Amino acid sequence: MSKNKIAIFGYGNHGKFIAKGLFSDGFDITIIESDKNFYKDAKADHFENVFLIDVTKDSELKDVVLASFEQLVCVMDDEHLNVFLTLSLRSLFKDSYILSISDSLNVTKKLKMAGANKVIDLYEVSANKIYNILDRPVATKLLEGFVSNRDGITFKEMLIPEGSFLDGEMADDIDFSKYGVLLVGMIDEEMGHTFVFVTAGIEHKLDSGDTIVCIGSKEKLDTFYKEIKKRKSSL
Amino acid sequence: MKDKLLSLALFLHRSKKYKAYKQFARDLLFDSNNIYKRYFDLTIIFLVISSVLILIYEVKNPVPLWLDNYDIYFVSIIFAIEYLLRLWVHNDLSDMIIKEYNDSKFLLKDFNLFGVVKAGLYEKLKYMLTPSAIVDLLAILPAYRPLRVLRVFILFRVFKLLRYTKSINQFVDVLVNKKFELLTLLFLLLFIVFTSGIAIYILEADKNANIHTLFDGIYWAIVTISTVGYGDISPVTDIGRAISILIIVSGIAMISFVTSVIVSAFSERLNELKEHRIIEQMNKSRSFLIICGYGQLTKMFFRQNRKHIDNYVIMDNDKERVEAAKKDGYVAIHENASSFETLNKFDNQYADITVLCLTSSDVENIYITLNAKSISRKIKVIARVNDPETIDKFKYAGADEILMPNMVANTMIYTAITQPTMYKAIHAILTGKSIANIDEIHVHHSHGMVDRQIKELDFKSSKLLFIGIQREGEFIFNPPSTEQIQAYDILLVMGRKISLEYFKSMHEGDISVKK
Repeated sequence: MSKNKIAIFGYGNHGKFIAKGLFSDGFDITIIESDKNFYKDAKADHFENVFLIDVTKDSELKDVVLASFEQLVCVMDDEHLNVFLTLSLRSLFKDSYILSISDSLNVTKKLKMAGANKVIDLYEVSANKIYNILDRPVATKLLEGFVSNRDGITFKEMLIPEGSFLDGEMADDIDFSKYGVLLVGMIDEEMGHTFVFVTAGIEHKLDSGDTIVCIGSKEKLDTFYKEIKKRKSSL
Repeated sequence: MKDKLLSLALFLHRSKKYKAYKQFARDLLFDSNNIYKRYFDLTIIFLVISSVLILIYEVKNPVPLWLDNYDIYFVSIIFAIEYLLRLWVHNDLSDMIIKEYNDSKFLLKDFNLFGVVKAGLYEKLKYMLTPSAIVDLLAILPAYRPLRVLRVFILFRVFKLLRYTKSINQFVDVLVNKKFELLTLLFLLLFIVFTSGIAIYILEADKNANIHTLFDGIYWAIVTISTVGYGDISPVTDIGRAISILIIVSGIAMISFVTSVIVSAFSERLNELKEHRIIEQMNKSRSFLIICGYGQLTKMFFRQNRKHIDNYVIMDNDKERVEAAKKDGYVAIHENASSFETLNKFDNQYADITVLCLTSSDVENIYITLNAKSISRKIKVIARVNDPETIDKFKYAGADEILMPNMVANTMIYTAITQPTMYKAIHAILTGKSIANIDEIHVHHSHGMVDRQIKELDFKSSKLLFIGIQREGEFIFNPPSTEQIQAYDILLVMGRKISLEYFKSMHEGDISVKK
């Protein structure tokens, strides 16, 4: 994974968790806070790029936020500030990818209007989880493990490189299980940039440039990732 | 005599058969979960209705002999049996005798058979004097042929039906609550009726052609005070009319007073009655959800447009939030879920209850969790936790599932940043979009799939992705295709909803999939 530059606004409830997770995965992160205490927390947690600014002032934002950031993550604890920030960032940086957190339906709507590319509703995901626990408790527990567990079975997305042995093959023809992984779905660039599940029942031709999502144990996934880089002829 | 009674009591006390019969009779009469009670109740209702219909028909038409016999003997005998059964199961005379005998032996005092029998019979007599027992007794009386007047008592059979209507009990309950007010008014009413009835009798008995007895006077007073005013008896003297005026004015005042007392009693308890009804309704179903707290999370929960949920009730101890929930069209009651009484009203014996503690306070959620678990370990609790430090406490309290909205959201954000493609996939899976359901297939011990190899099941042609098996708490990811399915395995499968359903029905056998 490339070392994306990510700016995280807010080092409160959510910011802390996300920043630490991203940091341990080797992302280049910058933390921006407007609250002194949270700023101190971030400093105390040994983050290097921490700025204390008034996020409501465009001039200050311009000073610290550079266009080179790939993702701007708005997770301020104060929802009003969060909406305002999203709006300012959108007006300042037209092309940036902005991700915001919301804690109610109304805020979600406002954030979308403010120009966030993706809004994650705090309660929506939890509400869905309750459904899942009620409907299929075992699957939910396992799935959760897949998502959060880094050592056990997990998901991984892989870009099919130029000349890979997968290039040009039909997805159904390849036996993924001999690599100990399962193909869950892919982003097929030919069919528009949409995610297609393997179970959707459409015949897929894999091309270089497509992204496939596989599930399996960490080592198996890594070996498989190396494998697909091999050329057709080398097999 | 004494010895004979004692040995009889001892025999009955020891007889398992006798006990079983008595228990059966008790269940039949009182236990609403007894399967036969339904039929028994329906029979009684049918007998009552047919009997009353015959009575009405009889007024103008001759009744065939067999119908008359049915009405007089058959119905009455059944009712008599029912009456005796109720009397019989009311208390255990034999047990009382044995207990008294053992006690007196232990205390080395004289065994007083007469006393204990008296006490036992007194209990039964007390039962006989309850309104429902009196109605039962009166319903048998018409069987006594020589006194045709007793035919009217058939109407009392209708009162037997009251036993089956809960609303009457609630009505009586409400009135009992206002006993003091109603009794005061009743005494006032009686006072006015009697004094004015006596007054009119004294003043007009010799002048008014319609008043002959004191009864006429009292009858007139009641007709007048109730503002019914038939007009068959009316005062003829000025003083009599003056009394009428007084009685009418006080009558209007009193009627409005009684009405307002009853109405206020009802409105005070209206909510309670409604909530009682809701709980009763829920108890009829096999499984239901109790959702505590109507906040953001609960609102979101209902707005997910997922599978329709029928059996649920929202509980909140904040009146405004309950009103808001009702306004949004949900079933909500204003109750404190952390009180033992509240949760205990739900049938935790037969139904599967799941409690969702979704209030925004951890303390509240823990308390509700403990409360639910203290009522029955069977109650499943899914608790929302806000502060990660309290997780351990929730685990100790016995919460089956713990939900941390912050954590869940954080994981999602994290995934969205690190693996944007996968985020879509995971989001779709988590929100159960139809193209990507991950579902579990529970393999029953007599399931058609037991002992078959995975390759035989051919998930691929069903357009399903077989992910693994959960077996005895361990998850086997992507097992070899020769692996055999065992009973009680849970298969984890991904695919479209229709594929999953089709697959399940194909391998039906005795499939038991958790809904």
